Amino acid sequence: MAVLRRGAYERVGLFRGWDRFDYLMVAAALALVVLGLLLIHSGSRNDYDGPALSFANPVVKQLVFAIVGLAVMAGMSRIDYHRLTHYWWALYGASIVALVAVLIFGDAQFGSTRWFDFGVVQVQPSEFAKVAVIVTLARFFAEYGGDAREFRALLVSLAIVVPVIFLVFIEPDLGTSAVFAAIWLGVVVIAGVNRAHLAMLAALCFALAPFVWTFAVADYQVERISILVDPYRDQGGLGAGYNVIQAETAIGSGGLFGKGLGNGAQTQLDFLKVPTKDFIFSVLGEELGFVGGLALFLLFIVLLFRGVRAAQIAGDVEGQLIAVGIVVLILMQTFVNVAVNLGMFPVTGIPLPFVSQGGSSLVSMFAALGILQSIIIRHRAYRQE
Amino acid sequence: MTVNERRPPPPRAPTRTRPHSNLAVLRAAILVLFALLTLRLGYLQIVRGEEYAERAESNHLRALQLLPSRGLIYDRDGVPLVQNVGSYAAGIIPELLPADREARYLTYLQLEAITGVPALEIQTAVDEAEAAGRGGERLIIAKYLTHEQAIALDQAASTLDGVELVVEPSRTYPYGPVLSHVLGYIGPQFADERKRYEELGYPPNQPVGKAGLEAAYETYLAGTPGWQIAEQDAHGNILRVLETRPPEPGANLKLSIDLDLQQYVYDLLVSSLGDATQAAAVVMNPKTGDIYALVSVPSYDNNIFAAIERHDAEYEALLEDPRKPLLNHALMPAAPGSTFKLVTAAAALQEGTITPTTGRNVDSAVLEIRGEDGVIYPLRDWRVHGYLDLRGAIAWSSNIYFYMASCGIPQEGIRGLGKDILESATILGYYARAFGFGRPTGIDLGGEATGVVPSPEWKRRSRSGPQFNPEDREWYYADTCFMGIGQGDVTATPLQVARMTAAVANGGKLVRPHLVDEILDAEGRAIERIEPEWEEVPVDPAHLQVIREGMLLSVREGAGALAAVPGVAVAGKTGTAEFRTPTGELKEHAWFTGFAPFDDPEVVVTVYFDLGFGGAKAAPVAGRIIQYFLQHQGGAR
Repeated sequence: MAVLRRGAYERVGLFRGWDRFDYLMVAAALALVVLGLLLIHSGSRNDYDGPALSFANPVVKQLVFAIVGLAVMAGMSRIDYHRLTHYWWALYGASIVALVAVLIFGDAQFGSTRWFDFGVVQVQPSEFAKVAVIVTLARFFAEYGGDAREFRALLVSLAIVVPVIFLVFIEPDLGTSAVFAAIWLGVVVIAGVNRAHLAMLAALCFALAPFVWTFAVADYQVERISILVDPYRDQGGLGAGYNVIQAETAIGSGGLFGKGLGNGAQTQLDFLKVPTKDFIFSVLGEELGFVGGLALFLLFIVLLFRGVRAAQIAGDVEGQLIAVGIVVLILMQTFVNVAVNLGMFPVTGIPLPFVSQGGSSLVSMFAALGILQSIIIRHRAYRQE
Repeated sequence: MTVNERRPPPPRAPTRTRPHSNLAVLRAAILVLFALLTLRLGYLQIVRGEEYAERAESNHLRALQLLPSRGLIYDRDGVPLVQNVGSYAAGIIPELLPADREARYLTYLQLEAITGVPALEIQTAVDEAEAAGRGGERLIIAKYLTHEQAIALDQAASTLDGVELVVEPSRTYPYGPVLSHVLGYIGPQFADERKRYEELGYPPNQPVGKAGLEAAYETYLAGTPGWQIAEQDAHGNILRVLETRPPEPGANLKLSIDLDLQQYVYDLLVSSLGDATQAAAVVMNPKTGDIYALVSVPSYDNNIFAAIERHDAEYEALLEDPRKPLLNHALMPAAPGSTFKLVTAAAALQEGTITPTTGRNVDSAVLEIRGEDGVIYPLRDWRVHGYLDLRGAIAWSSNIYFYMASCGIPQEGIRGLGKDILESATILGYYARAFGFGRPTGIDLGGEATGVVPSPEWKRRSRSGPQFNPEDREWYYADTCFMGIGQGDVTATPLQVARMTAAVANGGKLVRPHLVDEILDAEGRAIERIEPEWEEVPVDPAHLQVIREGMLLSVREGAGALAAVPGVAVAGKTGTAEFRTPTGELKEHAWFTGFAPFDDPEVVVTVYFDLGFGGAKAAPVAGRIIQYFLQHQGGAR
């Protein structure tokens, strides 16, 4: 096993590498942020009636976090991603400790313990753990010859993600556990997993599913899943199925072109809960319609394809697998969030990347883009020069 | 490419510096997932768009049900006996509370200051509701707020998100125990009744009558709910009312009850209880069946049922009280004792087995009768009366005379009502039923007992089962005799006794007693008048005249002398019914039933105590009731 020495990292000066920077990716992200700002403005009009230029205004607050996010992205792009993989053990260890700690000391909200409350900011250890898991998986496969074809390698990679999935699952946070599982799947597929091994694992999961359902799934999760099947089963739609029904109604009533920004009755009469956060897509669906939804999807596809490009041109296996992990992360968060809004997935507290209101989500997403940029700046062709 | 050409062919396994390049699967995954989302979005927005647009419209248009105000109940002079009031409660809709826990706690603290419910308790309740996924449902955290609390909460609710003042219709009964058995009470719909009431168009939060007149006249009192279509936001704030159909208030009841008399009788029974534990009295118009007063002691405060959760201990005590305060003893059966001799007398006169002048010298307090079955029964009288004719026998309530009238004295060749004891019992049973015993009186109040008119057949039926010996099922000679004096297995309610007395007093009309006189609409116009109903008793009025004369004699100089009222001719019959207590002791129920004035009866009074002697205990109480009635209201009737 070759140990990377510090000197092996490529240093990029402050003013170098900007020519290789992926500006199209940043543009797509910024377009999503702007769309988010418009929707936050529309969704918060009922709750906020203070001065427009104030940090209390959610639009201003989101804008400030976007600027902070851009700075973090630029900073991260300067750092060689090998530094992250080198300290994988620190990142991974800290994640596990934080996930355990949040279960013990964390703040319970909406029946789930996911946050540390530091007064000014709330921190979700699982956000941090996502990057740590991606980095650790990438490092492992790189060290293992960049290959997941051997069953032993697959098992070790499972041993890396399963503790994290378990800790997140018992918070409980079903959606984020699904995101972790998807990251693992994405990384091992790209690392060349043997299909027979994968099929075997899938079969094992199916066999275990009834036990998980009986012993590990909390009542509220069962409830949320049954609500998905029939939202009206609880009090004719005023109970647990409320959010699902209202979101579906909002989106469905948007039609082809929507009711226009600020004109959605569902949004403006407060039928939607958390309309600027987890259910911001419903505001978009109601006010901007099918066309607005397609525009959002296109922006995400552009962003994600630029991420795939980063994986394609990455200088080495580590960079490639990190890029794949980040692409899957953004893809899954987007998919789960929109699927919840469309009534295809049980309600789970996952924000829409770059669009939903919320500083920590926005900044961490830009940080992830920064890592992608760091990979792009140090891409293969450049190394071969 | 020139670089690659010079290199050897790439190894099969990728190396650290030679990443995989087949990322098509990742691109495909991205496109497939977004295609899925697009399909679903298109399905919702384009295929079902119009349906959802309609749903969004009806989402903020909300039909609210408006509860009608419940009909009021008045006494015969128009004095209101119930009051409609609002019952205030503090409600929380957890979903509408501030998201921040500290802000929430401040809300709880403010609620604590107003309602006295500890903030921590509220927090627990809200957290539990949210954990159970019931965050959108209203949670009642405090009920029965005082008026001051309600005002304070109303003010606070305007600034506190998720907090609201809930007003629900309720009743108070200003006269409480005096009228509780008559009026009954209302309460929330029980879970098992909800479906039935829903079918009748009741909103789930509309209280319903649970007992007494409140239950019996529920369909009249309830009224019809209205509705309102209003535009509202998701907090439930009404923005604009679009359409309203006002609720229709329930009909009002005007009772035949006289509040002053009811109060007087209640107080009188309570103060006269002595060693008795239960008492009942019925004051009734003998011609129309109008009930002026219907009292059962001990009573209960029907106000506790409007706030039953707050009165658990009191309710528990009422349920466990051996005196059974929740039962209306005027409608509960007991051995009627000698009051039943009026029926025996009427039967014997009508059957012609005795005449008014039939006499008997009761020179011993024990009469040994050899029954047709050969057994010798020692039948006792309560004293040595000497010579009595029928009127005297009624006046002095001679048992031996009425044994003779019902079952006969075989060894002296005197026959009873029929040719043998079985026929005598059947004939006596027929007249008892004709006078309303053994069946409901038809009073407009639920929970009425029928009492028992025994017969050989009834005895066989009711004594079947392994706990009885076969000989217990047989009808003996003494059964007919005891029945003739209202003992043995005969039971009757005070109301049945009063109704029978009314039939004697009015010359043979068995009227249906009723409490409600008129049903009025909200403006006070009569919708329905309760007309007197009666059936004819198959007894010649001349015979009833004889019985009345016996009753007059009873109060003038006989066993009922303590019921006498100066200046008024009162007629009556005492009753002292022996019964065995559960511990096996022999005790007596005290009865008095009578009417006044003798010539043109205006009022029938029946008084019952579970312990005591009729002449000593019940007669004076009945006399005072008659006196009060005639002095205060008699002229107006």
